[in-house]
Amino acid sequence: MSLRDLPIMAIRVLVRHPARSALMLLAMSIGTAAVVVLTSLGESARGYVSDEFSTLGTHLIMIYPGRTETSGIGPGMFAGATPRDLTIGDALALEKSSLLAEVAPMATGRAKVSWGGRSRETTLIGATAAMRRLRGWTMAQGRFLPEGDPERDSGTCVIGAEIRSEIFGPRQALGQWLNVSDRRCRVIGILAEEGRSIGMDVERLVVLPVAGLMSLLNKPSLGRIMANARSHELMDRASDDIRRIIKERHQGEEDVTIITQDALLETFDRILAALTYTVGGIAGISLIVAGILIMNVMLVSVSQRTSEIGLLKALGAPQSEILRLFLVEASALSLFGALLGLALGVLSRLAILYFYPVLPITWPVWAIIAALATALVVGLAFGVIPARRAAELDAVAALSHH
Amino acid sequence: MIKLRQIERDFIVGDQTVHALRKVDLDIREGEYLSLMGPSGSGKSTLMHILGLLDQPTAGRYELDGRDVTGLGDAAQAEVRRHKIGFVFQFFHLVPYLTAAENAELPLVLSGVDPVERRRRVAESLGALGLSQRADHRPDQLSGGQRQRVAIARAMVAQPSVLLADEPTGNLDRSSGQEVIHLIEELHDTRGLTLVVVTHDPEMGERAERQIHMIDGVIHEETRGRA
Repeated sequence: MSLRDLPIMAIRVLVRHPARSALMLLAMSIGTAAVVVLTSLGESARGYVSDEFSTLGTHLIMIYPGRTETSGIGPGMFAGATPRDLTIGDALALEKSSLLAEVAPMATGRAKVSWGGRSRETTLIGATAAMRRLRGWTMAQGRFLPEGDPERDSGTCVIGAEIRSEIFGPRQALGQWLNVSDRRCRVIGILAEEGRSIGMDVERLVVLPVAGLMSLLNKPSLGRIMANARSHELMDRASDDIRRIIKERHQGEEDVTIITQDALLETFDRILAALTYTVGGIAGISLIVAGILIMNVMLVSVSQRTSEIGLLKALGAPQSEILRLFLVEASALSLFGALLGLALGVLSRLAILYFYPVLPITWPVWAIIAALATALVVGLAFGVIPARRAAELDAVAALSHH
Repeated sequence: MIKLRQIERDFIVGDQTVHALRKVDLDIREGEYLSLMGPSGSGKSTLMHILGLLDQPTAGRYELDGRDVTGLGDAAQAEVRRHKIGFVFQFFHLVPYLTAAENAELPLVLSGVDPVERRRRVAESLGALGLSQRADHRPDQLSGGQRQRVAIARAMVAQPSVLLADEPTGNLDRSSGQEVIHLIEELHDTRGLTLVVVTHDPEMGERAERQIHMIDGVIHEETRGRA
């Protein structure tokens, strides 16, 4: 049989047994679509996270109070002794380092904010003017916290868009005195709504001068200091410098944890990559299930077509030809199933984009190639047993089979 | 052209050995019309399977056109079948999901004949058997006689030198059976085809120039002359 006739014969068998073929195509396409969509989701999550981090700038260094020696999980979490406080003074000292472009001390807390009878609980951030530059926040109205001595509370605050609309409604918010717990601050700016910002919902924030927040909530220590190295190459030297300055100020104790953006990103990347492979692997199992279905249906088909196989032998088809015919049939099924699965994947992607426009779904080329290759390999592998059974049938017995 | 020497064929059934053929000698000349007759279990079908290279003898020697084909491998035997032997079966053995033309085309597809040439030869073959109007019909849309005619077209399309017909009328009504046997005989008469018909029907068997009667795996009697 010529190489052109082989696929034509195989496809003709599939076309003329539509129910059987549709069943196998369905199984194969669901398997393929699952692999492609799930690995794409994983890959997209990775892309999303690394995007998020890069909006923070790639030179970011975080300084947390407490030193983690026993574990790497969280700053201060397992530190033996109570850590020394991280203070605004420390932040001011760090500003003197020539390797750091920005130093932003930060404290967080929750409190009730209210105005004119409306109130709600929300997240408070204590910050300085440097925070806006570091985070890349933009203003919808007004301005951000003023420059000046971070130790001083200017009595002003900046609020997120959702807080503005919930507390002030249609009224002008700028210039109003917002009650925060038992104090008041003058609203001088409204943060622009941002699509995304990691770890913080900008729309629901109230940003106060850091000194004000610490005295309001009676916090002795900053939550962290965020700093920006002057360049990516200076990251290591900047971290060393920070360690040195803090050690000097803390009586020789190196009691802070320094996390660089790179280390953080790398950890997330590793976790998400592992997740992607795991999810992809689980989806791969559905491909194998599809393969087993193909094997089953092909075995049934071989026994149904026994007399046809006997006939082909009588007409002069050698075993190798019959083997090829059934293998081509199985691979055609898997290939078409896989292509159908890709189409299904495209539709799912459109659906996901429609419902979750925030998540930028990407199509890793390797996932598409891997899904197609796996489908083909699965089809061939599970096609071998039925094909061999067909090829090895005894011609006389097959012909007398009804 | 066909020379069988001391052909034996044993089947193991349970723990017993059944001798289906016992030391059969048979020579068939080119262009001969021969019938194999005998009751069921006499070994006539087994002999036909061996002649058609569908089955291997347990012992003995089979020469086809001067070549010993007894020990050939699967691929080589398949090639001999493809080029030299045509089959017509009692139950037609048409592939149910293929049209008449596609069924008739199968041997040419297996031989790797070019599609244009295939179409020409299939059309010619079906035309010769009066099936031109039925080329696109599936077997289930054809009568028994038409089905067997498609099977004959398929058997002849690769122009074999031997046609083996196993009870070709066994599944047909009388008039269709007559029609089929006349068609086969015509092929023998006009093309010099070597024709071997296996039948248990004496009336049909006696039409052959040479009649072989088998009983219990041996050639019991040979009669000559067309009735």
